[in-house]
Amino acid sequence: MDIKTLERLQKLNQLNLTEEETDTLLGFFETAEKDAEILSTVNTENVERMVYVMPMTNIIREDIAKKLFTRDQLQEQAPEAMDGYWQVPRTVD
Amino acid sequence: MKYETVIGLEVHVELATKSKIFCSCSAEFGGEQNDHVCPACAGMPGMLPIVNKKVVDLGMTAGMMLNCDINRVTTFDKKSYYYPDLPNAYQTTQWFSPICVNGRVDIETSNGPKSIRIKQIHMEEDAGKLVHDDWSDTTLVDFNRTSVPLIEIVSQPDISSAEEAIAYLERLRDLLRFAKVSDCRWEQGSMRCDVNLSIRPEGSDVLGVRTEMKNMNSLSAITRAIKYEVARHTRALETGSEELVQETRRWDDNEGKSYAMRNKETAGDYRYFPDPNVMPVVIDDEWFDRIEKSLPELPEVKRAKYIDELGLSEYDADILADSRALCDVFDAAYAVCGNAKETANWIITECMQVLNKKKMTADMLAINGTSLGQLIKLVMEDKVSRPNAKRILASLFDKDIADVEEFAKQSGFIVSNDTSFIENIVKEVIAGDPKSVADFKGGKEKALMALFGKCMKQLKGNANPQVLREILIAEINKI
Repeated sequence: MDIKTLERLQKLNQLNLTEEETDTLLGFFETAEKDAEILSTVNTENVERMVYVMPMTNIIREDIAKKLFTRDQLQEQAPEAMDGYWQVPRTVD
Repeated sequence: MKYETVIGLEVHVELATKSKIFCSCSAEFGGEQNDHVCPACAGMPGMLPIVNKKVVDLGMTAGMMLNCDINRVTTFDKKSYYYPDLPNAYQTTQWFSPICVNGRVDIETSNGPKSIRIKQIHMEEDAGKLVHDDWSDTTLVDFNRTSVPLIEIVSQPDISSAEEAIAYLERLRDLLRFAKVSDCRWEQGSMRCDVNLSIRPEGSDVLGVRTEMKNMNSLSAITRAIKYEVARHTRALETGSEELVQETRRWDDNEGKSYAMRNKETAGDYRYFPDPNVMPVVIDDEWFDRIEKSLPELPEVKRAKYIDELGLSEYDADILADSRALCDVFDAAYAVCGNAKETANWIITECMQVLNKKKMTADMLAINGTSLGQLIKLVMEDKVSRPNAKRILASLFDKDIADVEEFAKQSGFIVSNDTSFIENIVKEVIAGDPKSVADFKGGKEKALMALFGKCMKQLKGNANPQVLREILIAEINKI
């Protein structure tokens, strides 16, 4: 992880890191990369990638619409809300 | 130098489900802002998605209609995308194992038939809607559309003109509407299209610089946008007027121009990774067979059958075969009454009139076809007059009537076969209107119609017109 990649990730995630936070993160990634290098020495040939912890499939439901919450209940904890909308800083791409 | 156009389309189609893809909130279009929302689709921590089975059904149906291979084990992935209309900061979609791959849509062009290959169809959630409030200088978020189920149909870059793009989109719309996968309404955003376009010297097998126009929502705008972009790319290559770069562009249909938006993120930027919260969906033979058996006949097969086997006119067959709902009602009604022309007339004229009054489209025709068949049979057997049959038809739109003859009896709509009863009514009317009687006898044919109308009114329409006319003339002649 170099500063250029970190800056790109910042941009993609709309983050605004301070210089101190950037240094801390670079240090963190350096450690993480070393750990990853150690892990990569393990022989994983013929081992299938594990995505799901539980061996479960078809956790599905029927197509039935239900209303379980009111808008007011959901917006009780909203930092900002207006006229039934969640309100966020102006975002225009 | 001559150039050729290379177009690939990504078409988003909202699926015809009652609830969202990963939660039970209503997927209905519209509603008050944030009225169809729960902690799951609002992206609150700890909420777990549960896949809507109907979404998989419709994904498979779409794939089968478009000649795709179905992945029997299909999985969901996270697509990183930081924007307030996606509260999780990622979209749950399919990247590694989409539900359908390797399909084909056959179209007709001015140069003859052509096949457009389908790369894949994947299931995913829609994003919410943002409203920019100038007064407070903030953005307001409505999550009603968040997690509404979509399929994205990705074509290979096999399309080489605006005309072919439109033919492909129209065919796609016909097939998906016919299979009841979606209502495919451009104006409501339930069908949207991203256009990927490049040009290259004719005969070259190297692709040119590609630009993408997102969220196009009408066929006319797509046509204009493609023509504009082809001209812009050609001009850039021929005169060096600008440097073409891979980018996303916004089409402004009012101005008839496209504008650069941002550099296109590459797949890596989305940092796709498997979503461990959504378990894989395994489609067994039973599930696969159930969907395969539910597929409708293609519209053109229906059309040919109506003309060749049932003797309908091309005009009638075209109207019926344009809508699965009309076909379903027609097939069921015809099976009961056995008269194709009469059934087509009742649907195309009478049913459509009721739909128009209710401001509904043909696809919304939801009356019981068997009941309509019973009604048509009663009219054909002169048991119910046409005016009264229209009244019964209006009732069929409001409720399911299993026994239409019984309903007609209870409503007093059965034509009377009791000639003595009709004779008594006729005598009463004649006695009450001697002037019309005298006029008719004096040669005024119209006077008979006046008397006829009065009799029919008293009989509440429940008389065979021919029988009534004969009795009326006979009674007048007795005077």
